[in-house]
Amino acid sequence: MKAAVDARLDVLRGSALRLTYSARSLAALENNPRCTLRAVLDASGSNKTDIAKHAGYELPFGQSPFAIARGNSFEAMVKANGCAELLRVLREILQLSLPEVGYQDLNDVGGDGRSEIRHARTRQLLVRAARGLGDGTLFDHPMLLLRVGGHAAFLEPDLVAFRVGDRFHVVEIKSFPIIDGRADPAQVRAATTQACAYIIALRAMLAEAGIGPEAVSETIVLVAPRDFTNRPAAAFVDARKQVATLTRQLARIERIGDLLDLLPDGLTFAIADEAGLPRPAGELVEALDQVPATYRPDCLNHCEMAFYCRARARDGGSLDVLGPVVREQLGGIDTVTMALGLARGKLRPNDEQVEIAASLRHAARLRAELRSTAGTPGAAA
Amino acid sequence: MSKVSALARLEAMEAMAAVQLTEFRHRRLSDHPLVIVPLTMAGEAGAPLAAMVGSAKRSPKLLVVAQPRNRDQRFAFAAELGGIVMDYIDHCRRDRRAGSSRGKGVASFYTDAPQVLVPNPGGVKALADLGRTCRFRKTTGSYPVADIVPRLGMWLTFLVESAEQAGTSMLLPVTGMLGEHWATGQSVLEDQNLASLMAWIAPPDGLDVAQAMADAENPDVCPPAGPATAPSFDKYYLEPAIKRFATADPLAAAAAEAELRELIADQLKPTWRLMWQAISLLRGVPEAPRAAARFERDRASFTAYSDYQDAGGLPQRKQDAPIGAARRLSRLERALADFEADMAFDDPYVLADRRSVGEAFAGTVVAAEPGRIVTTDKNRRVPRPLVTVRTQDPTRLAAGTKLISPSMPASHRALIVSTIPDEDTSLVTVEIVGGMGQGLVPKPGSVPAQGQQVAYLPDPGWRPVPVFPDNDRVPWTHAAAADDTDEFHEAATEEWGNDD
Repeated sequence: MKAAVDARLDVLRGSALRLTYSARSLAALENNPRCTLRAVLDASGSNKTDIAKHAGYELPFGQSPFAIARGNSFEAMVKANGCAELLRVLREILQLSLPEVGYQDLNDVGGDGRSEIRHARTRQLLVRAARGLGDGTLFDHPMLLLRVGGHAAFLEPDLVAFRVGDRFHVVEIKSFPIIDGRADPAQVRAATTQACAYIIALRAMLAEAGIGPEAVSETIVLVAPRDFTNRPAAAFVDARKQVATLTRQLARIERIGDLLDLLPDGLTFAIADEAGLPRPAGELVEALDQVPATYRPDCLNHCEMAFYCRARARDGGSLDVLGPVVREQLGGIDTVTMALGLARGKLRPNDEQVEIAASLRHAARLRAELRSTAGTPGAAA
Repeated sequence: MSKVSALARLEAMEAMAAVQLTEFRHRRLSDHPLVIVPLTMAGEAGAPLAAMVGSAKRSPKLLVVAQPRNRDQRFAFAAELGGIVMDYIDHCRRDRRAGSSRGKGVASFYTDAPQVLVPNPGGVKALADLGRTCRFRKTTGSYPVADIVPRLGMWLTFLVESAEQAGTSMLLPVTGMLGEHWATGQSVLEDQNLASLMAWIAPPDGLDVAQAMADAENPDVCPPAGPATAPSFDKYYLEPAIKRFATADPLAAAAAEAELRELIADQLKPTWRLMWQAISLLRGVPEAPRAAARFERDRASFTAYSDYQDAGGLPQRKQDAPIGAARRLSRLERALADFEADMAFDDPYVLADRRSVGEAFAGTVVAAEPGRIVTTDKNRRVPRPLVTVRTQDPTRLAAGTKLISPSMPASHRALIVSTIPDEDTSLVTVEIVGGMGQGLVPKPGSVPAQGQQVAYLPDPGWRPVPVFPDNDRVPWTHAAAADDTDEFHEAATEEWGNDD
């Protein structure tokens, strides 16, 4: 059964290299969980950037080199000299008692930076620490492993701190500022969701060693620049709700087979044929068209396929184009044609639409009245 | 959003062109607004990269921070921008006249108030960050800045705070002004992109809306209106140019700087042109009658803040104290209610919006009892005519709601007595309670006559200014845990942080 699903996913991906999940792409699951297209593309490890580009809907995404440089330099500064700055923040601002500090660098194992080796070492050290052995308290870039839909995804938290109240805490180091005690809620949310993936992976790893989930805290420590300086500030962020949400999303990936069953046989998002020749863009778009997508305007902020999905929604005259603010005014109606048809009395509403149709006709009458008086002086008097 | 506005968006989507959403422009548009198009550097809050500034389309001034990570240069930029902003503010302070005698406080007002226009809400945020970085800076001691820097910080903070209040016009994003008047066939999110929004309202010559929209999202054709620059621009052009400037020997530095300025100017110019095109479009929309009264309030708060600053006022706090927060909230809520009522009163389109959701109604007078007289508790006989209006609107206003009417004289007041559904219409009976003059017989024209069309909406009413306890008498439930009197000192000694 599982093998059949995997084979199916391989066909969808075609000959392209399989992309594994990263903390970032796992966090993105939370954004639009109902979208089948997104679920299928992610589960098959397809490269959404390449697919969108090949289909003619490239989205000018990407991170500025300045942002990347700033992120790296901030993290390096916080961790310099055995995490001296970080410890200061954890002790002073969060009033944590970290009696002894044992810093463990897991960026490589004796010069070997391979993920598998680092993961083995991480497991060894963290399990020992959880059992009260060893002197590790700060684990720099541990390598965690999460099985998503049967495939290994290596995840690399910035830092895991132990013995903050005798539990492991995931520490996220981010370069967006905390200004006067406040940070951008959207960025905090994204950071928290990423940290949730680490919490889940950490728990899975400890569970293999028979250690219960309570060893890992669901409160994360967010470390970010304070105001406009380069000095760090820290805050606790409660991630309970997002851990539950992400756990649910991961369970859905395990059931990807149910979604695949609804797709036509032989469907593929390959951008090249077996001989490596590029596939005609029109054919790729046709394949994409077969899969239901749930477009929302905020997809433009985080999904590589957004331009494609928007074009598709526009072609179909879908109300999704206008976003939830308009949609919620027009419950039960999906397209512009239908909404305007009902408003103009040219379509007959079905039983569920009677009420909305009446209020649409009323709104249309009001607008018609306005148009007939518009421009006449004193119309407002 | 109401069903009427939703419908307007549907019409726009069908017609592939923007459609009118209001009769009027509800924001005052100054004859000489100060346009600021700010750019910031990615990855770091409050790191200005550049700004294009000016009060006339033909004479933009370009300010550039050649090395955005250098904080000395940042504050040099702030000082230069401060010079322009303060000149502009002084320009609004040339003339001061006695105001209306009502109320206490400011006895005379400046005859003008500033109006700063930025492209989008992100532009407001960029000015807020800049204001926050500047206002606590010290002009002496270690890391001193020019005198004008903290003053700019305080004025920007004042403008940003005024922008949070509905109905003000001292700092506005142009996308917001356009979006209030025109509905497009795209989402609210996409409407925040100035070029996309303008593509719907006035696509460039020779392009249809669809092509113009596609161009608007292509950073090579339409550079983003900021404050963030396109990541691809950062990568392929900006970063190398900044590097060239930073590593240039003294002889080549001037050329490298000129090159960098030109590069950034090219990113800003299209937005600059769009800003002025948008402004001239907005000038073509008639201003709402009540915008004048709101402008008067802007002038009052501008004058009050200006006087406070002249008296050596402290920079605005980082966070409101409990009493200040309560006061601010009350002010913002009040302003929002007033602004919404003002707009509905002035503008039949906005009124239609409210009507479609049952927050207002209009119809024909089908019955009237103009001679009705009642005796009040105080044993006075007063005219209280009853009028019944037949409306097709889905009214949801409760009995006893106080009403105002855009179709009657301004002092007209009424109360809802009853609402009785009658097939697909409703019969709303109202009692006229004000605006009829002193006598027992209502003034002519003060009571709607049978057959007349009338519209009513709820009266936001007069509310007394709420009384809050003094700052030293905060109830223990709301008392702040820590004393933050050293906030100013702490913020001013913020590390300079040139260490990266």
